[in-house]
Amino acid sequence: MAEFGDSVLEDLSASDQHTSFSMSRATADADKRKMRRIIAEDPDWSLAIVPYLRIICLQHIIDNFEKNPILDELPPADKVKVLEKLSTKLPISVTANLISDEGYWRRCSVERWGRRDVSYYGNSWRRMFLECHLESAIELFIPNTTDPNVILDKVPFYKNYVKKISVSQLLPPVKSSENRQKEDTLLAVGDGASEELSVSHFDFGMLLDKMTELEELHLVYGVRGCRMNFEWSLFEFTEQDCQSLAKALKSCKHLKVFRLHQSKVNDENVQTLCSSFLEHPSLRELDFSHNIIGERGARAIGKLLNSSKLEVLSLYDNKIKGHGAQAIAYALSRNENLTTLNLRLNRIGDEGGQCVANALLKNSTLINLHLGSNELTEPTANFLSRVLMQNKTLKSINLSCNRLGLDGGKQLQEGMAHNSSLVEFDLRLTEVGQESEYFISQILQRNKETAHRTPL
Amino acid sequence: MSRSNSPLEDGVEENAPPSLESEIQEERIAARRLRIAARVQARKREIIFFQRLNKLQSDGTELVTNIQVAVDARESQRRTEEAEAKRQRTEKLENEAKTSLEKFEDIRKKWASAKAKEIPQDLRDALNMQQRHCAQLIEEKSKIINELQQELKVQDDKYVKDLKRQAEDVDLMIERMEEQIKNLMKCYREELTQIEKAFELERRELLHSNYKKWEQTMQHRREKEMEYLTMRMKQVEDQAQQLQQLRVQDAEEYNMIKIKLETDVQILEQQLQHMKATFQLNQEKLEYNFQVLKKRDEENTITKSQQKRRITRLQDVLNNLRIKLKKQEKQFKEESHTLSEDCKRIMKQYQDMQKKMMYFASIDAKRFHEMWIMNEEEIKGLVKKALDANLIIHEQQLGMTYVRPNLPFMKSTGPIIPQHTKKKLTEVLAKQFLTAGQKITGDEEGVEESVSAGAQGESHQSKEQGQLEASYPENPDNLLPQISPKTMKKLLEIMCDECDFLVESKLLKLFSTLEKHEQSLMKLDSIFMALGVENEADVYKLADFLIKYSEQQIAENKKEDEEDGQIDEGKSQSYVSISSVEAAEGSSSMIERSTTTDLIHPNDVLKALKVYTEHYCKPREKHPLPSFINYEERDDSEDAAFWEAMANVIPESTQRVWSALETELEKY
Repeated sequence: MAEFGDSVLEDLSASDQHTSFSMSRATADADKRKMRRIIAEDPDWSLAIVPYLRIICLQHIIDNFEKNPILDELPPADKVKVLEKLSTKLPISVTANLISDEGYWRRCSVERWGRRDVSYYGNSWRRMFLECHLESAIELFIPNTTDPNVILDKVPFYKNYVKKISVSQLLPPVKSSENRQKEDTLLAVGDGASEELSVSHFDFGMLLDKMTELEELHLVYGVRGCRMNFEWSLFEFTEQDCQSLAKALKSCKHLKVFRLHQSKVNDENVQTLCSSFLEHPSLRELDFSHNIIGERGARAIGKLLNSSKLEVLSLYDNKIKGHGAQAIAYALSRNENLTTLNLRLNRIGDEGGQCVANALLKNSTLINLHLGSNELTEPTANFLSRVLMQNKTLKSINLSCNRLGLDGGKQLQEGMAHNSSLVEFDLRLTEVGQESEYFISQILQRNKETAHRTPL
Repeated sequence: MSRSNSPLEDGVEENAPPSLESEIQEERIAARRLRIAARVQARKREIIFFQRLNKLQSDGTELVTNIQVAVDARESQRRTEEAEAKRQRTEKLENEAKTSLEKFEDIRKKWASAKAKEIPQDLRDALNMQQRHCAQLIEEKSKIINELQQELKVQDDKYVKDLKRQAEDVDLMIERMEEQIKNLMKCYREELTQIEKAFELERRELLHSNYKKWEQTMQHRREKEMEYLTMRMKQVEDQAQQLQQLRVQDAEEYNMIKIKLETDVQILEQQLQHMKATFQLNQEKLEYNFQVLKKRDEENTITKSQQKRRITRLQDVLNNLRIKLKKQEKQFKEESHTLSEDCKRIMKQYQDMQKKMMYFASIDAKRFHEMWIMNEEEIKGLVKKALDANLIIHEQQLGMTYVRPNLPFMKSTGPIIPQHTKKKLTEVLAKQFLTAGQKITGDEEGVEESVSAGAQGESHQSKEQGQLEASYPENPDNLLPQISPKTMKKLLEIMCDECDFLVESKLLKLFSTLEKHEQSLMKLDSIFMALGVENEADVYKLADFLIKYSEQQIAENKKEDEEDGQIDEGKSQSYVSISSVEAAEGSSSMIERSTTTDLIHPNDVLKALKVYTEHYCKPREKHPLPSFINYEERDDSEDAAFWEAMANVIPESTQRVWSALETELEKY
């Protein structure tokens, strides 16, 4: 047994040898029974129970992994064993770059974040773990109280693996009880605006310029689950936040997808952000859903459309009216990149709808168009029927919740008769009449079949 | 799926499906058709399945999105309503504000009128009125506030309702989603079970067919094995029989051979005996021979010792003789030394003598010349006198015109020199060379000319020669045509090469610095001198002789070979000095023999020359030392005539005239 131990020990580093020896001796002193090879009085005893020194050594490595990480030097069989038993609580600074085994990261992720769909993270458990780790760190970051180094120190370990940051809440700085009372009084008076302007959230500028691999950024400037502690100030996207975010986004050259939801983004904010995105080399998708963007914001976005490579634009649930839609339609008529445009739940009206339809006559790249709930009526349907006749690239149009009426339905039916590319056409709650709806669905079915057949 | 289905269908339609590997063409075609049909069917089924799935999916999404759309619609409606309500509210508020402002203005105006009132009762009334108005205003305002608060409450209720509704919607949506998921799962599971079933079936089919195949092959193998076994048994039997047969045959053969070999052994033994006997005999013979040889050996040793002794004796004699020889050699050497010394001395004396002789000869010649001149002058005076006398006689005494006879000798002075000097031998040679050179090569021309020029420089040397040899035929041209210049040139070259020894060694040294042609020319000159060839005719004669000799040689080729030795010996006696050189040159020229022309063999040249000298050199002996008597020898044949001419200056007729005149005069 001792000889075998020696031979194994030779393989290990000197320090480990030393510690394991002392450890074994200590245990031996503690229990003399373990020194004996045969214990006759114990019928259950067998030699197999005594673990091999090899296993003890591996256990030791596992226990001290944080201080002395040995992994790549181990033979493959031992490596597997170590990875199986390695604690999931180890700090990222040790494991992020050293361990590439997906099994370990899977254990970590499942243990810490529960079951999630790994396919959202490029089928990499390590990426998933690190991204979740970073997201939670950002979400729990409280400005002025939390030390920013908590996140920044780990950036070198995130850097190579994190491609997407999806933040669902950003905490505002905590006000002292004194402040709070004051504010309460101020709120009671109804004049808290001056105080709120100074409030700012986590500054992405210090993080984003270091994350060279980052491709997606989803942000919500708000607090999740505030319940009875609700205050308007919790859901404020301030001027300062906007400035710092715009600066950070400019430095983040690899960003492809940017989403900013439910953050009360107003026209000024959109203008600032759009100016930072002008000539961005890689941005593909922009999403400002559930905000309060109006005419001027839409104009800024329209300007951005033609000076970047945007492919997907989502302005769902904003306050864009006819003029804003005009600006976007003007950009659309000259654009050659955009494939998806979502203007659902806006108020573009017939004026905007006609502009968009006219733009579509010139455009040949847009594939998906969503104009649901936009107060469109018959005149727009008239224009759209012309679009349906001419345009060959559009595959999906959504006009739900617009009062097009029977005449509009007939016009669309006419347009559809000459179309062979459209696959989806949502006309629910548009009062177009069953006859037109049936006819259009027939044509859609036909188009679907041809589309299904051609790739085969 | 299409692949997996195809064998299944095959199996369903036929028990033994036609395989693609079968050898019958029709069967293969049928198999292909079946496969294609199966594929088409599979594709159809696939399309149907996908359609069903798509429909399920689209229906499900529609169901789910219906809620969304409904909510959207409600939201948009709410928004329009809200916008409307807001508009109404603002209008109402503005109206209210306007009316209240008017009322406020009223109240303020009334304040002024109230101030003007001085009667306290009026004032109180007015104040009351104001108060009432204010209360009214406030009431209106509070009414509006109440209204608004009520609206807010309603909105709150609405909000709560909306929240509830939304929660319901969400619940519904989740329910529908779950339902859709369930449906889809069901569908997928169905499909999966179908696929699995198909797969299972196919697998079973495959297993079955494989098992069948296996059985078949196993059966086949078993049969084959049996066949092999029987065949093997048969073979074993056959081979056993063959073995038996072979064994019998071998035994017989063995016996036969054994008998044969035994007889052979007997014969061989007999032979052995015989050989032994002969061996004995031979041994005895050899022994006897050995004895004889031993004896002879002894005798030989004796004679050997004798011979040895004799050899030593002879060795002694030889040594003695050698010593003697050495002594003799020494003696002879000394003798020869003394003799050579004498010879040198004599030679010197001889040279001195020659010098003296030359000196005297020149003096004599001078004296002779002077004498001659003196006598001549004397005679000329006499002649002149005589002639003058004759003139006087003729003109004065006879009165005749006198014509002076032409006397050429009167003009000349000094001893007479013969008119014809012979053409120089070397000049002829040069000319020949020249002509030959012109024919053969143009390049050599210049050289030849220079040679001829050089040759003329020597003319003085042979001038005297020519003088002495006037008796020889002067015109050699009659001999020329016989020999072409080319052959002549070759002959001369051969002679030049072969007869170096005739040239004095000092001259040879001198010649070595000259050019080749010049050298050969000089050499020839000296050679001809040695041979006694003095003029052109002689040269041609020599050439002619040489050619003829060579022809003779060719004719007598065989004989000569035998005689050669003798002739050579004879030569060596007569030409002691030459023979050594000839021997030396003979070897070197032997090699050249084959290469030189057939005109005459270089080796034969010497022999020919020897014969030539024997034949023609006698006349030369008249002038044993031609060079030495150059000065003395003069042609005095004309002298007498000269003097006679002097004497006969007055012809006999005049003399007779004179005598007649004398007599007449005396008479007179």
